Amino acid sequence: MLRACKRLLRPAGRIAFYTIFIAPGLSEAAYRRAARAGPSAVTSRRREQVDLLRSAGFAAVREIDVTEAFLRSTQAWYQGRDRYAAQLAEAEGEASFRERQRDYRLQARAIEAGLLRRALFLGERPR
Amino acid sequence: MTRRDRDIVRRFHDRYSLPVSDASLAIEREVIGANVGAAGYTTLAQADALIPELRLQPGALLLDIGAGRGWPGVYLARRSGCDVVLTDIPAPGLAAALKRADEAALAGRAAAVVRAGAHNLPFRPRVFDAAVHTDTL
Repeated sequence: MLRACKRLLRPAGRIAFYTIFIAPGLSEAAYRRAARAGPSAVTSRRREQVDLLRSAGFAAVREIDVTEAFLRSTQAWYQGRDRYAAQLAEAEGEASFRERQRDYRLQARAIEAGLLRRALFLGERPR
Repeated sequence: MTRRDRDIVRRFHDRYSLPVSDASLAIEREVIGANVGAAGYTTLAQADALIPELRLQPGALLLDIGAGRGWPGVYLARRSGCDVVLTDIPAPGLAAALKRADEAALAGRAAAVVRAGAHNLPFRPRVFDAAVHTDTL
């Protein structure tokens, strides 16, 4: 996808993306726990995002960590949804509501344990 | 598209099909900072940070990949004055994105919605000044 983005950008065009990814350097067991706890679209650790941007041809690549805000948002989604549990369970269906709440809990624990991270990645198409 | 990708698209299709309730709006305001069609983790402050980083300004053309219900592309266009193209697969999300763009009075300028996946973007090369995606595949 990054190569496609580079193709679509004008020279000096910029890309920015926030993404959730599995922390590097984990054991196999910790990696599996992180993969289960993250969103289903979570990016794997196969390669660092910075490396992916560079190999796609982007320059001026930077990473800004936003993991603390990610934890706060995850906890806020869980707590906010918990406060409106009755209305949301009716709208989403009881099983679906409970599943999403479980996912938020698992995700928060994985972030706190250093298994999941979120960052803003930036790059520029060379002129 | 893999089976896993199809499952994700179906899940978001179902999620975007849910009616917007007072409860969901209140939670979104609390987590994100405003009612902007967000369902993920990109807060208003994090979206604001993108404007200088992407050099968004009037006349620039932004591509938002995996725009869902229009977040953050519609907001960034409204705040910066840039034009925007929103892409995603789940149709209910795109319908909401288009409505949000209309409400933000972007339609008269240049706001387009295109149903396309991140791996198959149907655009000519070198047309966008900036691209953004948030927690997309």
